[in-house]
Parts: sequence; structure tokens; C-alpha cells
Amino acid sequence: MSQVSMPSSEVVFWDKAVIDKYDSRGPRYTSYPTALEFNHLFDVNAHERVLADLQQLPDETLSIYIHIPFCRDICYYCACNKIVTRNAQAAEEYIGYLEKEMALVSKAMGKSRRVTQLHLGGGTPTFLSSGQLTRLVLALAQNFQMVDDDSREYSIEIDPRTVNTADLALLKGLGFNRLSIGVQDFSLDVQKAINRVNDVTLVRNLTMAARDLDYDSINFDLIYGLPEQSPESLKETLEQVIALNPDRIAFYNYAHMPERFTSQRAIDRLTLPSADQKIDMLNGLSLQLCKAGYRYIGMDHFVKPDDKLAIAQQQGKLLRNFQGYSVNKSPDLIGLGVSSISGFEHAFAQNEKDLKEYYAALDAGVLPTAKGLFKSDDDDRREFVIMALICHLQLEFSKWEEKFDSVFTEYFMAELNDLSELEKDGLLTISDKNIAVTNKGRCLLRTICRVFDAYHNQQLQLHSKVI
Amino acid sequence: MLTNITAKNDNLAMSEPTVKSVDPTCPHNKAISCLDCRLGKICLPVALNDDDIVELDEIVKRGRMMEKGEHLYRANDKFHSVFAVRSGYIKTYRLTKDGEEQITGFYFPGEILGLDGINQNSYKNSAKALESAAVCEIPFNRFQELSLQMPQLQTHFFQLMSQEIAEDQLLITLLSKKTAQQRLATFVLTISARNAARGLSAMNLRLPMSRTEMGNFLGLTVETVSRTMNRFAKEGVIALDQKEVSILDVERLRLLANLDQ
Repeated sequence: MSQVSMPSSEVVFWDKAVIDKYDSRGPRYTSYPTALEFNHLFDVNAHERVLADLQQLPDETLSIYIHIPFCRDICYYCACNKIVTRNAQAAEEYIGYLEKEMALVSKAMGKSRRVTQLHLGGGTPTFLSSGQLTRLVLALAQNFQMVDDDSREYSIEIDPRTVNTADLALLKGLGFNRLSIGVQDFSLDVQKAINRVNDVTLVRNLTMAARDLDYDSINFDLIYGLPEQSPESLKETLEQVIALNPDRIAFYNYAHMPERFTSQRAIDRLTLPSADQKIDMLNGLSLQLCKAGYRYIGMDHFVKPDDKLAIAQQQGKLLRNFQGYSVNKSPDLIGLGVSSISGFEHAFAQNEKDLKEYYAALDAGVLPTAKGLFKSDDDDRREFVIMALICHLQLEFSKWEEKFDSVFTEYFMAELNDLSELEKDGLLTISDKNIAVTNKGRCLLRTICRVFDAYHNQQLQLHSKVI
Repeated sequence: MLTNITAKNDNLAMSEPTVKSVDPTCPHNKAISCLDCRLGKICLPVALNDDDIVELDEIVKRGRMMEKGEHLYRANDKFHSVFAVRSGYIKTYRLTKDGEEQITGFYFPGEILGLDGINQNSYKNSAKALESAAVCEIPFNRFQELSLQMPQLQTHFFQLMSQEIAEDQLLITLLSKKTAQQRLATFVLTISARNAARGLSAMNLRLPMSRTEMGNFLGLTVETVSRTMNRFAKEGVIALDQKEVSILDVERLRLLANLDQ
């Protein structure tokens, strides 16, 4: 087991000089290869074959992600695949199609696998009415082997503006045991600038209700780098957040890319914090959260030291997939709904991104597969390295060599050479046994991982800035 | 049960105009009214006001009689139906690791049970009649088939089911946070509210379960249940007569339940 122990009081520090030097674009590596590499050679038939192959390992577990694309209002910062509407009927129709998709997937892969992870994301999953959520969960239970034990991680993203205590009670009754609340920021000026006004009282009441209802874990999603945000305003938001004591905090960077995401064009560039201010924010929030007893596990995530994720990281057991960090990731993730990605041990598949195309495929009685890829041997080898660095903050050569039956330093000679520059800047250490990410390097994990990404040079322009 | 049937009949008399307009051969027109049933909200309006009456009637199995102690379904049975209590009382329970019965709910006339199966496709609890009872059943697969023809029925149904699931969950949460006295006061008030929701007396209740069962459900010993109920009676908050309970001082009972907190 790798032992990366760090006292919880230790604060990560984002070094401006180093960040400036390496400032470039990079993916978050929820998968490797990333979704940008998916292609149309991977089609419905390939997808069906991969699903059928899952039956060969019936005792393995399964993760499910369901994408609900609808939002009642538009949040200007959002870069997700979404449909803004007030028409509840749209969701009714969508669930009908999700039912069709579930039936097809279930028919292809069977029902033997226990679903240990479920995540409803969006868009806004709570756009669905309580009746629609109930219908969706029934369809899941009819098509997959849902479980009820405490080890399950069934989570849902909550828009506090669309949910009340009775809704949280329903979700608990439907089997969800984790909530991820989209807080973003508590400052009214910021909220107005992003068109998402949710009062702190609202979030406080929901958090208290969720505790009463005995949810296992409450996560807050926050964003830094938003319009009208300043290091001072962020400090105030964080004081309010800390008082509510969430178990986990995901702190995402707002990447302003109006040329790619039309809704971001509503944001006045001049109200955005400067690059220097953003680094101040990062260091400020990191200090503030660590002082309050959280620890940084990497890739935008802060958790309590006794959280499963923190413990798993110390034991070298942390894992990562499209749903973020996890302790009991399944080898296979089924993504349901428009634009969703499925991740299998040796392949990825992505559904149609356009709702009409998604519906048309299901009307024709076939899986709505748009593209995907089969991982090559080289992909597998690089994936192993990148996931080890992100999750365990180190890579032991012997582990890699055991799995791939070749010599690490020979296979990655060029990469090790590139890493020496990062080593000089104190982002990592390289020994004859391992690569270990330093405290300083944890802030630039994406930069470090990118060295092992065989595709990154080709697509430099498409990703968001690291910080 | 006498209390309830009397009250029900009173209620029927009050809603006479509605009842009169009903075709006497309609299977809804039974001694126990569908008007107060929670399933009635989907069952009754569609069935009585629509040409779809025949089809819905075909899938709803009405008035199945159950003996005391008879099972409606058992834990781990495949989720096949949702049930409404027409008369009598049903209790749900699960077995603990030691094989002990842990009561998880009591269901009164007009109330819906079986929803604990919805997220597993199998029932989590077992359900059996507390005393002789009658239930109506909506088999799920056939209901879903029918929903394809009547989408509004489906929307309505799931909305109703979600309310039931949320209420069950809120009650569990409410009870788990409280002291013995608060739990019992809350329990009595909850049954009072459930009675009122069905158009029955909110003040004169029948608690059909034994003190042991009440304690089992609330996580209290039978001695604590008896002692606390007797104290409530002694203090003039309630009056006790076997299984009949009259609420004498509802304000004081609310204080005891500490419902504000």
C-alpha cells in the first residue's frame, strides 16, 4: 500500500510562479483517454457487444449514471449539456425514453450485477417532479439489481431552489443516501451575476433537514472565479459554508469560454476576477478550509479527515471515474440518458448528445450510442499511471510493471525526461521506485498527468485553463 | 374498528349526493367508501367519470378479505402490487437478525402500503392483518400497461405514491429523534391527523395494536408504553378505554410531543 500521509493541518499552497510557468490547458481526467478521443468507429454494435460481455463477470458490481438535461432557468456559468425549459411534460416524455433505454441495456447485460453506485446528475435532476422521480426509481429497480445495504452510494445533485424537506424525505425513501447541493456562492452580487439566486437560509434548512433524515453524506458544490467574486466575498461565503459543516466540498474553477458555451456570453468579462485574484482565492479558500478541518484530496475536492475518501487515499485505495472520486468504484459504469458516457474496463461509449437523435434511436428500438472507443494497450498503461497519480498522489513502478509485464522506466523514458523539469520546480519527486507528487504538485495534478497523455498535444486549445 | 365504521357511515351520509349519483352496480359502491381512500384519488375519478372505467375495474382487485395474522405479502417477495386498506388494519414488519419481529408501520383504512418495494422491485417488509381486514390491490404490471393508454393516470399515481413515501419517511425521522414521552404523544397525534385526513374523528381514536406492538414500533418497552399512556391519562391529556383513546387536551399533547422542535 502506498502511504501518502499528510497531517490534516497542512495547507496546500498554489505557487503563482509555478502556476504561471505551467499555465496551460488540461482535462480533469475523469477518464483516460478523455471524451475528446471518442470516435464513430465505436457504434451500436460495439456497444451491445461490450454490454453482453459484462455477463461474463456476473459477480462484479455496477455503477449507474443518469443524466437529466432539463433546467428551469439558465445559470450563466454552466458548460453542461442542458435544455432550459419550464415544460414539465418534457421531463415526462424523457423518462419514457429512459425507461426504453434501461430495458435495452438490461436486456443486453442481464440483471446479475448489484448496483453499488448510482448518481443522478444534470442539468437539474430535481427538475423532475416527485412523481417523476418515483417513476424513474421504479424503472431502475425493474431493470437493474438495486441494493439497500449501507455500503451503497446513491447520490443526486440538488438545486436548492427546487427542493423542500418533503422532497428530501422522498429521495431518502427512494433509496438515495447522498446529496450533492449546488451552492456555488452565497454572495447575492455573485448570485445575480450568474442568474442563480439561492439564499443561505434555503441551503441551511435543506442541510438541517438532510441531517435529520439521516443522509450518509452531504456535499457542497462551490465555484471560484465567478463574476463579481473577490477573495473577500469568497471568504464570507466560506464562513457560511463552514458553519453548515458539509462532509465534502467540491471547489470548481470557473473557466470563462464564451466562444464555446453560449450561456457564458451573458457574463461581463470585466466583472471576472483576474488571474492573480484567482490564485489568491485558491490559497485563501484552501487555508480557510484546512483550518476548519478539511483536507485537500486533489482535483478540486476537500473532505473531512475521517471521510471515507480521505481514509481511502491514505490507504492507497482511492478510485476515480466520471462521477469523481470514490472508494468502491465498479469496473463498469453505465451512463443513461442524453449525452451520457458509459465507462467499461476496456471501452467507452457515449450516447447521442442531441435529444432528437437520442429519441430517434430509442424509437427505432436500438441503443442511442453516438460514439466511443476501445482502449488500446497503450491507453491502458497510461490510464493506470494517470489514475494512480490523481488518486494516490504517487505511482509505484513495481505495481505498474506487475500489471503490464514490462519495465516502467523504459516504456516511459520520454515522459520521465519531461517530468524532470517538473521535479526541479518541486512538483514531484522521482526515485528508482516511484513517482510521488509533492504538496506543491497537488495543485497542478492536471499538468503532471498531462505528461502521460499521449493525445494532449493534439487538442491543447479545447480544454479549460488549469487554474 | 366499531368507532371507525360508525364514523365512516356518518361520513358517507354527509357525502350522500356524490354517492347517489353512483351506479348502484358499480363495484365502488360498497359499505366502506372509496371516497375516503387515498387510492380513490386515482381510482375513483377515473373509474367513475371516464369510459376507461371498465379497464381500470378489471385491474383493481377490490375487497380481498383477510383473516387476522394472514399475510398480504412477505419481505423479499417480488414487488407486484400496491395495496389500499379498505377495512381493518395491517401492520408491516421485518425480521431482525435474531429472528425478532420489528414492526415498521401500521396502516389504517384508506391508507396505501407496499411502496417499500418500489426501489428494490421486492418488498422490504412483510405485511399482515392486525385483525380481520379487507384490501384493494393494484397489480403493477397491468397498471403500467394501462398507463400507456391513460398517461394522466400514471402521472397522478406516481405523484400520489411519492407523497406516501415522503410521509412515511418523515414519520420515521420524527419518531427517531424523540424521547419516550415525545414519541408516544407524536404517535397519538399522527393517528389523530390520519383519522382527520380520512374524515374521521380527530379526537376519538381507536389504537388497534397491542401495547407490546406499539412499543415495538416506537422502540420502547411495553412497560414504558403503559406507564406513559397511563400518565397522559392521569394528567387529563387523554382518556383511555381499552383500545379506545380520546384526546382531551390537544394543546397539552402537542406540547408533550414537542412538535415545534
